[in-house]
Amino acid sequence: MTTVERTVANDVTGLEEVARLVDELAAAHALPPGPVTDMQVALDEVLTNIVQYAYSDGRIHDIRVRLTVSPEVLEAEVEDDGRPFDPLDLPPPQLHGALADRAVGGLGIHFVRRLMTEVRYAHVNNRNRLVLTKRLRDQTEADARGSS
Amino acid sequence: MPVDLREVDDGGVLILEVKGRIDSTTAPTLGERLAALLTGPDRRLVLDLGQLEYISSAGFRILLLAAKRADEGGSRLVLCGISGKVRQLFDLGGFLDLFGISGSREEGIAAVR
Repeated sequence: MTTVERTVANDVTGLEEVARLVDELAAAHALPPGPVTDMQVALDEVLTNIVQYAYSDGRIHDIRVRLTVSPEVLEAEVEDDGRPFDPLDLPPPQLHGALADRAVGGLGIHFVRRLMTEVRYAHVNNRNRLVLTKRLRDQTEADARGSS
Repeated sequence: MPVDLREVDDGGVLILEVKGRIDSTTAPTLGERLAALLTGPDRRLVLDLGQLEYISSAGFRILLLAAKRADEGGSRLVLCGISGKVRQLFDLGGFLDLFGISGSREEGIAAVR
């Protein structure tokens, strides 16, 4: 199991740094591209939410991102000290309707929930902690490997 | 990886090839280009996403704005090259029926001409 941890700023440089970190980890461990892409999209959504909504003081804040690769899963733990926000509380977005009526509010979190195998939220010591887990192989493949 | 945008003119139809990733970092670049290309009436634009690696909700926001701008300006905008992971994201967001989508670039050009 490999874990890398990075503290990034709540701005666009932080998002770029995390995307790069995921790329580096994926390359180093030859991870399958599909799950890695899903994690890139999910992290973009989560970090964008933090950058846009977590703070109202206009200051730079630290976001802690910890990525873990194990044989079965890629996991990302994201911690911020912004306003408490449990994305799992959000209602599902409106995905139908004509062009003029469509908005993308809630779409990012919808992507996170649908792309990840598991999403866990906790508010601990005045910090938001979101854990995104993505299985690296589909279950039947994993079962086959386990039984061989 | 930054997004790479390339324009090709095919006899009055403009094709914008998008290569790389459209996330919240790169979406503004695409948004500015699309806004410029759709300024003015009766524009014909094919957005070729065949080399797109992925698109996040920030990118879909840009595509929605572009489609609305095209509608309001009497322009024609069609997307093509949507497959694999990108197609899955369009599907998850309920966008496959919302945008004009062609199976190939040639079909897209014919659709907006």
